[in-house]
Amino acid sequence: MVEIRLLAYVIKKLCISCGACQNVCPTEAIIVPRKKAKAKVFESKCIACPNCSGICPVDAIIMVPRKEPLRLGVQSMDVDEVKIKELCIKANLHPHQWLCICGTIRVREGAVAVLTGAKSPEEISLRTGARAGCTAYCLQPMLRLLKAHGVKVVQPKGYRWYDTTQTCWDVTEEIIKKYPGHFIEEDKEVFRKV
Amino acid sequence: MHGKASPSFIRKSVYGPAPGPRAAELPGIVGLELRDLFPDIPKEIYTEGGDLSVIRKATENALKNVNMDMIRPTDKVNILSSQYGYQIMGGDVYAEMIRTIKDVVEERTGCRNIRLRVTTGFRIREPNEIIRHYKLNEYFHGKALGVRPIDKGVPIETEIGTLYGVAQVYDADWIIHAHHGELRELDMHRMINRAIKPFSMSYARMETRAVAHMNFGPRSSNFVAKVIFNSPFVQSKFTFGCFLLTSPGGIIGVDAGNDMERLDRRLMLLGFKSYGKIRELFNEIRECIAVMDATGEPRYMIGGGMTFGNLTEAELDLFDLDKIPVSLGYGLYERPAGAPKLKSINPAIKALVLNHMWLGVPQLELATHIPTVVVGRELADLLRDDPMNHDFMRHVVTSENLGTAMEFARRISQTDQVIVFDGSFGAITLSASLAEHLIARAPEVSRRVEEQLMPKWLRQRGIDPEELSNRNH
Repeated sequence: MVEIRLLAYVIKKLCISCGACQNVCPTEAIIVPRKKAKAKVFESKCIACPNCSGICPVDAIIMVPRKEPLRLGVQSMDVDEVKIKELCIKANLHPHQWLCICGTIRVREGAVAVLTGAKSPEEISLRTGARAGCTAYCLQPMLRLLKAHGVKVVQPKGYRWYDTTQTCWDVTEEIIKKYPGHFIEEDKEVFRKV
Repeated sequence: MHGKASPSFIRKSVYGPAPGPRAAELPGIVGLELRDLFPDIPKEIYTEGGDLSVIRKATENALKNVNMDMIRPTDKVNILSSQYGYQIMGGDVYAEMIRTIKDVVEERTGCRNIRLRVTTGFRIREPNEIIRHYKLNEYFHGKALGVRPIDKGVPIETEIGTLYGVAQVYDADWIIHAHHGELRELDMHRMINRAIKPFSMSYARMETRAVAHMNFGPRSSNFVAKVIFNSPFVQSKFTFGCFLLTSPGGIIGVDAGNDMERLDRRLMLLGFKSYGKIRELFNEIRECIAVMDATGEPRYMIGGGMTFGNLTEAELDLFDLDKIPVSLGYGLYERPAGAPKLKSINPAIKALVLNHMWLGVPQLELATHIPTVVVGRELADLLRDDPMNHDFMRHVVTSENLGTAMEFARRISQTDQVIVFDGSFGAITLSASLAEHLIARAPEVSRRVEEQLMPKWLRQRGIDPEELSNRNH
């Protein structure tokens, strides 16, 4: 369970409608609805990551306390343990490893989100609270879980995220041979043991 | 043998509190000269506050044999720099190397369109703080730009598929890789392709950084940097690398070259020689209170020329490729019996005092593994609202000032041995009691590294120690 205590707030008189904020929001919580319009925040979707306030070129976005914290999290008892494990194995992920270090969310919670219908990283975020911090590392396990579940991942317009999920499991034998001394096979063996 | 401690300058930032009293001023805290412990640490040419003209000269000398013929007067050139370089010894030394690169390239090629890119990790505002502080936009005639991992990307076709760089890193005809030899994330690079690591980090989009961190292993993650660097896209723009060389004693020189494999090898050998013994000495600390008191995040905060991460992971010899700390993606969970050892928090750290630090990386594991005292309300408030450490303040206590924090830490840790990470090079800031312990242990550490560890590190990377030794003589 992640408790979101802050909320992005747009200082309208400063906003220059550049749209930088909407390209970095992990949950589509902030948009510039049309040309020259001021940025708008959807409170129920804002998970208070540092991206929009940090990227704004004119400091028009600040973080303010929410009236009531937003609590996000999934109930793993809603899903069969066997299915969680199967999905994690298919994604080459361990159910107990971190999905999101910042929010202390495990991969199994991401698996629950996917198995209960999340179809995109944005939806996993809003169900689990993941990507409320650095917004970066957690994106890989999210995409891997979605793809392993057969979800056709659609890269959003703009540059909120790019669809790339190479893992050590995808490196071909030919490439491994070409680059000796990089421990790809050896590290795969470590993960197999884990 | 004990001198006065000399903490590094703290740069102001929105990510940290206003600098206050320093740990080096506490009673009983001294500076232990590293060269008194290990006389063979490569000798420094510069320490903080020294004459920067030495760095200019060293950079000019290093660039003399570098080929710049590919750069035409009408071309656009990006000098790529990383935020951590500006945290070394107050940052002026890295900034001076970068200014010198610009001047030399201008003079040699006639090119006047040389731009600076300042990259960062998760502190999105940090590049602009750097540009302002070191007046880099003035030096680069309005062409210094901060780039973040969430900025627009550019696809890079590699041998393992499409990865993404940050577009503004590569929006020039040519790029110059301006970096440093400090160990930093040893757990991720393991001295394999260390010199090109920024191609999968500082210069990469967040997805690609996550591929390296989360999708590869405790020794293979820097393979991602290798395939990006080797890609036709990067190779079509790459000119040369220029590195600030560090040892725990200070800046020991500048190295540069067009051939990154050769530069990487020189950096690796220097890394073992410079850092091997001090790193192993950290493993001799049996109990201590660690104090964070510098610019940046705890993990990369320097004490005696070594980052705090080298103390938190001191039990594991991370130069040794047989050692397997399960890295970020696969680590930090409750491991099943028999599974490989996790990335550890050294149990010798009995208490942690956070006097000055910046937010900006996930570091909850410190608070959950070590009894921690946060100094002052301002830092506590920053940590409470830090999105990268949601639960941090639930696991720590806050003290009004540094003095009371140290008293509390001593009571809970039952030790008077203190080590301070205050950005110092050349000497470790520490308590006299810990200094005595380290002085006593240094000769055995020196022997162990020379006779056992160094030969092993070299052999693991395909280098015959005897051949190397003969060549050096």
